[in-house]
Amino acid sequence: MALFQSGSAGGSPHPRKVPKFPQPLSRENLAWVFEGCADYMEREVRVCGEQNQRVTVCYLLGMTRNERLNDYVLRPLAQDDGLSGAQGDELLRRLEYGALYNMAAARRTELDQVVDDLIMGSCAIFLEGVEDVLTLPVVTEEKRSVGEPENEPALKGVRESFVESIRTNTSMIRRHLKAPDLKIQEEIVGRQSRTQVDVLYLDGIADPELVARVRKRLEEIDIDGVEAAGNLEEYLTDHLNTPFPTMPYTQRPDRFCQALLEGRVCILADGLPMGWMLPGTIDQFFKTGQDRAFHWMTASALNAIRWFCVLVTLLLPGLYIAVVTFHPEAIPLKLALSIVAAKQEVPFSTIFEVLIMLVAFEVLQEAGLRLPSPIGATVSILGGLVVGNAAVEAHIVSPAVLIAVAIAGVAGYTMPSQDFAGALRLWRFLLAILSSAAGLFGLTAGCAALIYHLAKLETFGVPYLAPFTTGAGHVKGHPNVVRPPLPWMKWRDGANHTENRRNQR
Amino acid sequence: MKGTWAAGILAAAVLLTGCGGGLPRAREMGEMALMRTMGVDGNGEGTLAVTVSTGKRAVGTQGGTAAPLILQAESLSLSGACREIQGLSSYHVFYGYVDQILLGESMALQGVEPVLEYLSRDVELGLGAQIWLVRDGSAQSAIESGGESGVEEQLSILRKSRELGVGGLTRTAEEVFQDILEQGGTYLPALHCVPSEQEGEASLLEWGYGVLREDRLVGYLEGDGARGLELLAGQGNGDLLEVELSDGLAVVEIGQTTTQFIPVYQQRELKEIHLVCQVNGALTEFPSPMEGEEVNRLRELLDQQETQKIQRALDQLRSWRVDCVGIGHQLSMAAPEGWRWIEEDWERLFVNVPITVTVQATINRTYDDLG
Repeated sequence: MALFQSGSAGGSPHPRKVPKFPQPLSRENLAWVFEGCADYMEREVRVCGEQNQRVTVCYLLGMTRNERLNDYVLRPLAQDDGLSGAQGDELLRRLEYGALYNMAAARRTELDQVVDDLIMGSCAIFLEGVEDVLTLPVVTEEKRSVGEPENEPALKGVRESFVESIRTNTSMIRRHLKAPDLKIQEEIVGRQSRTQVDVLYLDGIADPELVARVRKRLEEIDIDGVEAAGNLEEYLTDHLNTPFPTMPYTQRPDRFCQALLEGRVCILADGLPMGWMLPGTIDQFFKTGQDRAFHWMTASALNAIRWFCVLVTLLLPGLYIAVVTFHPEAIPLKLALSIVAAKQEVPFSTIFEVLIMLVAFEVLQEAGLRLPSPIGATVSILGGLVVGNAAVEAHIVSPAVLIAVAIAGVAGYTMPSQDFAGALRLWRFLLAILSSAAGLFGLTAGCAALIYHLAKLETFGVPYLAPFTTGAGHVKGHPNVVRPPLPWMKWRDGANHTENRRNQR
Repeated sequence: MKGTWAAGILAAAVLLTGCGGGLPRAREMGEMALMRTMGVDGNGEGTLAVTVSTGKRAVGTQGGTAAPLILQAESLSLSGACREIQGLSSYHVFYGYVDQILLGESMALQGVEPVLEYLSRDVELGLGAQIWLVRDGSAQSAIESGGESGVEEQLSILRKSRELGVGGLTRTAEEVFQDILEQGGTYLPALHCVPSEQEGEASLLEWGYGVLREDRLVGYLEGDGARGLELLAGQGNGDLLEVELSDGLAVVEIGQTTTQFIPVYQQRELKEIHLVCQVNGALTEFPSPMEGEEVNRLRELLDQQETQKIQRALDQLRSWRVDCVGIGHQLSMAAPEGWRWIEEDWERLFVNVPITVTVQATINRTYDDLG
C-alpha cells in the first residue's frame, strides 16, 4: 500500500454519539443545547392575544431573516383570527398546513432534528402541551453577490462565478441547464460544520456507478468540518502520494455545466465558491472556459501551447543543467561562447546557480501572493527586476540561468490549474536534481519515472492518463491536445463511461 | 510486482545503452576553452604536432572580446598531444566544438588515416568537422596566421561561400574518411597562406584540391583541373564563363550541374564509359540582346571549355591512378551486375578504359532579354 493512501488511516473509529442529543424534545432541552450561545433567541407569543394560547418561537439570530420571521411567522401568530380557539394538536396542524406563510414547514419529533434545523436557519415553534415541534425555514439570504470569476477570467463568455452559498450556485446551474434530468443529491459532511455537499449529475448521461461511488465516498467522510477545499479533495481522491491533482475544479458555472454535459459527476459544497468535476483525467487540467468560445484553430493552438509549456516549465531548468554541465557539445556554438563568457566571472557552479534561482523564484512568488496586492506587485518588481538584474551585474548568477529559470517559471503560469502548476513545480525541482546527478541520463530517467507515476494514478476508477491510452479498455473520445470543430465533436469521452455517448446529431 | 518488472526492464535498458561504465562527468563551462580549429602536422620523424585554437573569445557580458587562445603540443600520437595540450593552460580544453580541421602538407604526405581514425573514435571531436589541406605550409602556421582575429571566421566564410553556390568544394572528415575506405582515394580542398597587409597576419585562400591516393597526398589539382574535378563530382556550380563577343563581353554563370557515368559492357568487359555532364548556365552580362545563333555559339564555347576541364582533371587522376570522385561507385549504381564483373580489376580499368566526355550545356534566358 502506498505511503499516503486515501482511507488508510488506522486506529479506532472516530467516536460519534447517535443521536447526539437523546433528551426528550422540549423547549427547555433546546435551551440547554444552546446554552452559552448569545445568538440563541426565544420569543413567546400569545396566539391572537389570548392568554391561554401561548407559543414559543426559537431561532438563531443572524441565521434567520428578520423580515420573514416577523411578517410571515410572528404576525400571523399574533393577528390571524383563524387560529383563535385552536388548542394543542389542532393549533399545530393549522400552523403546519397554511396558517403561517412559509414555503416549507416540518413537524419534528426529535431534539437532534430541531437543533439541525435551527442551525440551518429555521425557526422552531413550541406549543404548550404538544410534544411535536414545527420548524419553518426562514433562512437569511445574506451572501456575497455573484461576481466575475477572478481565477478564470472570461474574454468571450459568461461573467459569473460561484459564490459561497450552495443554493445560489445550484440556482446558477439550473439556469444554465434547465433539464429535469439534472439531479442534485445532498450529503451533510462534517460533524461540527454540518456542511451541505451536493452531488450533481445528468441522469441518463452520467455513469450511475460513478454517482454511487462519489456518494459513498462522501458518506464515508467523517471529519469535524469542511472549511477548505482540501477537506473534500484529500478525502475523496484515490491517491494522496502524488502532487498531481485528481479533482479539477472551476469557479465558472458554464464550465461546470459543460462537465455535466460531458457526463461527469460534479460536486458543490456550501461555503466554497467552486465546483469539482469528476473524474479528473489529466486533460481536464489543461482546459479553460474559453476553449469552446474561441475559434477551434485558435483554441487548438492555445491548447497545444499549454502542453508545450508543460514541457518547458518541467524540463528547461533540468535540461539547462544537463546540457551546460554534462553535454556542452549539444549547445549551438554562439550560445556556448556566450555562456562561457558569462560563466567565467560567476563563482558558483551551474547546478547551484539553477537550484538557488529556482528557490528564489518560489520565494518571490510566495511573497507576492501573501502580501496585499499593491505591495505584492512591488515585491515582484523589486525581486524580479532589481535583484535579478543586480545579481547578474554582480556576477552572482549568469544571465542564461536567470533566463532559463524565468522562462520555466513563466511557462508554468500558462496552466489553467494552479494545482497542476504546483505539481509541475515540485517535479521541476526533482528533475533538476536528477539532471545535476547524471545529466541527460538523469533527466530522461526522471521523465520515465514521471510517466510511470502518472500512469499509475487513477481517479474514481478512470486512469489519469485516459485521454492518451486505450489500455484500460476505454474507447477514446476526441483529441485532447487539439480542439476539433464543435460539430465534429459528437462523442462524449469514453473514459467517463457515460450512458449516452452521442452528444449531438 | 509490476514495479519490480519495470525496474528490471529499466536496468536492462540502461545496461544496453552502454551507460554501465558510469554516469557522465560534470564540467563547468566557465572553466572551459572551447576549441574550434585543430591543426595536425607531421614532422617526418614519427611525431605529430597538434595546434588548437579557440578563435576570437567573448569576455564578460558586455560584448568584450579577447585574442584567440592557441595551444600547441607535439607527441608520438594525437592522443598524447591532446593530453599534453590539456596541461598548457588554466582551462579545460574542450574539443566538442572543433568544426575545422587543418592538415599540414607534411601530414598529408605522411598519411591522414591516423588523424581520421582518431577523430572517429574521440567522443568530443567526431567526424563532422570541415577538413582542409594547407598547401606548401603547416597547419600551425595557417592557424597562427589568423592573428588577433583568428582563422575561424575565414574558414567559416569559405564554408558558407560554398553553401551559397560560390567558392570551391568543402569536405567533412566523414566524407574524406568514407572515400578513403571505399574508393581508396579522396580529395581535400587546399588552402594557401597569403600574407596580408596587417603585420603578422595572413589570409587563407582556396588553392585547388589535394588528391590523396589511399591516405597520402599525391598531388594537387588547380585551375581548370580543379574546376574539372568539381564537374566530375557533379558540383560545378558557381563558376563563370567570360566570352569576348564581337560587340562586347558576355558572362555566363554556371548553375546546377549533374554528371552521369554510363558504362558500356561487351561480353562482360567494360569497353567504354560515357560521361555526360549537364551544365545549366545563366547569362548574367551581355552587350546587347542576342540572336539565337549567338546563343548557340556561346553554348558551344561553354561545351568546349567544360569538356576541356573535365578531360584535364580525368587525365590527371588517371595518371595518379586515383578514382577520388567515385566513378567506380557510380558505375556500380548504374549497372550493378556489370560492376560485379569488373570490380576486382577496376583500378586497372580506371586508367585504361576509354572515357568519352559529353557536355550538354544550356543557357537560360534571363528577363527575355535574349532575342
